[in-house]
Amino acid sequence: MNSTAQSAAASTQSAADLKRWAGWVVGVGIWLLPLLWINLTTYLVLTVAGVTMGMLLFLTASGFTIILGLMDVINLAHGAFFAWGAYTGFTVLGALNKLGWVETGTLGQSLVSVLICLLLALAVGWVLGVLLEWLVIRRTYGSHLKQILITMGAALVMAEVIAILWGPNDEVVLTPAAFTGSLDLWDVVIEKFRLLAILVGGAVFLAMHYVLQRTKLGIIVRGGVENREMVQALGHNIRRIFTYVFAAGAALAAMGGTMWSIYTREIRPDMGESNLIFALIVVVIGGMGSVTGCFLASLMVGLAFNYVAYSVPTLALGVNIMIMAVILLLRPSGLMGRS
Amino acid sequence: MADQHPPQTPVQAQRAQEAAGRYTRAGLWLQVILLVLLALEPWLVSSFRVMDVAAKVMIFAVLVASYDLLLGYTGIFSLAHAMFFGLGAYSLALIIHHAGAPLWYHLPLAALLATGLAVLVSLVVAFFSLRLKALFFVVMTLALAQFADILSIQWHSLTRGEDGVSFKLPGLLDVGWSGGKLWGLTVNGRLLTYYIVLAAAALLFVGLVRFVRSPAGRVLKSIRDNEQRATALGYKTFNYQILANVFGAVVASLCGVLYALWVRFVGPESVMSTAIMLNILLMLIIGGMGTLYGSIVGAAFILVAESWLADGLRAVKVFLPDLMVLQRLADRWILYFGVLFVLVVIFFPKGLVGSAREIAARRRARVRE
Repeated sequence: MNSTAQSAAASTQSAADLKRWAGWVVGVGIWLLPLLWINLTTYLVLTVAGVTMGMLLFLTASGFTIILGLMDVINLAHGAFFAWGAYTGFTVLGALNKLGWVETGTLGQSLVSVLICLLLALAVGWVLGVLLEWLVIRRTYGSHLKQILITMGAALVMAEVIAILWGPNDEVVLTPAAFTGSLDLWDVVIEKFRLLAILVGGAVFLAMHYVLQRTKLGIIVRGGVENREMVQALGHNIRRIFTYVFAAGAALAAMGGTMWSIYTREIRPDMGESNLIFALIVVVIGGMGSVTGCFLASLMVGLAFNYVAYSVPTLALGVNIMIMAVILLLRPSGLMGRS
Repeated sequence: MADQHPPQTPVQAQRAQEAAGRYTRAGLWLQVILLVLLALEPWLVSSFRVMDVAAKVMIFAVLVASYDLLLGYTGIFSLAHAMFFGLGAYSLALIIHHAGAPLWYHLPLAALLATGLAVLVSLVVAFFSLRLKALFFVVMTLALAQFADILSIQWHSLTRGEDGVSFKLPGLLDVGWSGGKLWGLTVNGRLLTYYIVLAAAALLFVGLVRFVRSPAGRVLKSIRDNEQRATALGYKTFNYQILANVFGAVVASLCGVLYALWVRFVGPESVMSTAIMLNILLMLIIGGMGTLYGSIVGAAFILVAESWLADGLRAVKVFLPDLMVLQRLADRWILYFGVLFVLVVIFFPKGLVGSAREIAARRRARVRE
């Protein structure tokens, strides 16, 4: 009896192992599929572009997923923070360009100007985030319906305010001199700014991981995701933490917007809307509240978008919706979400 | 006689009470007056602009009511309703555009195509995401709507992209046709189209009202209020949700056909974009969720404001031409709708009709005491 039970347990164990391995093989192998119809050099270029896009998506989506996981708030105004960040970067670069730092300048000046952009975007995102949380989001805790409605309205208002302050038309964003042009590694052409974007995205991921796993604030936030009442019972002011987390998410989205605008070189007031869709897809695929899942999902979405956009441009968004649908069918709580 | 057969159950009692007050309800008379006013509108006001707004109010009222069926009655939060509207509008426009010359059978064919597409797409959406958490359904429908919008812009050989499709209607409905005067009014294609829109909109609206009041409609409401309880009572809630989803989508796509019929032009911006979805939401919230009649009030409010507010703001621009920021403030009238939207959701969540009903119910309760 005992031995049969053990062997049965062992076989389920090995079956689970096999399943996990098969999952990994399929999960990694599927990204090599495009090689069947794309040649290697192009594939590598697209892969770098996809990773870049993934990193930039991560900046926006990670804030969304933490806000959703901790506060249970669906924030459809997240894309608007993104757009505000983009316009902040645009303004800062325009101002610095008058000093001759942007279009003509040394590597140091380029780096500093990007840094100033990012810091100011973080600040703008933070302030807007605190304001929105105080004025609007507070009144909607516990009701998803109200949250969706109200944040849609807020997103509309924020996009319209951009159109009033900066004008309703597309604008061209300057790229710092040191990051224009591209590197050529064995025929694989890599734009310099992509490398910077990958660095920034990776750094933010590591920083978030560190803060969430190794600091007291991280423990409180993770605890809040698991069980909000318990954290409150332990004497932490969850309301204040909510405000900070919301503002931090908004700041991250604004930073993502700045990077994105320098990357794509164009901005318009309603740019947040399309980016929000990507962020939502990423969050659903990754699992709500999981930063690592969000990171993996961002890469998936970025890569899939670039491969398909190269082959069949019109279906680029469609393939991500399909990935989302398939993931939802297989794992309704997302890659790393709790069921 | 009534005393000899007392009502057996609370539901029967309620129905008897409703039936007794059937012809004295204020609502009924409001409906009749509204219908008569809309029917006589071409004779009452001889302005094309008023007629245009009236027709659009009818179309959007039905569209918003069909959305109310989802959000207000079933608790399904879909953001793809504008997509179904767009599907319907494009089916009529593309059939006529690609056929070359407009023919009569194109109209029923478009209605059929619109219905078929709506059923198909809404079923797929429902099966993929209706079982999951509400958030997933929102995301799925939002992404799908965005995808449809992009497709309608980029699939240039089919939809002519951002330029949109303008087309002519067959025979009597053509703008060029004129059939003489009737009681001082020229009978032309526009007028006939107006009555087609009026008849179809009234029919669809009555259909929605009947659906909501039917046993199936009661089940939908119970799902909205407490899904677990509805399941425990033995209803297959998933099937009912699918039914509501499909029915709402079909009505929305038929509204799209009507819109295309009236405007004779279809483009991504005017039928597919997120702006339309926001408009639907705004109309619903202002009118009141879960009231169905609120959609008429909401649609009328927004469309009338849109039509005449833009004029007022243009006047501001003419009088104060110097201030750039003020110019833009006047240009971006959507901003005010956004602010209004947020304020209504916070302070006035029941909407106009919902609040009016609440006040009326309170007064009735006081009278009874």
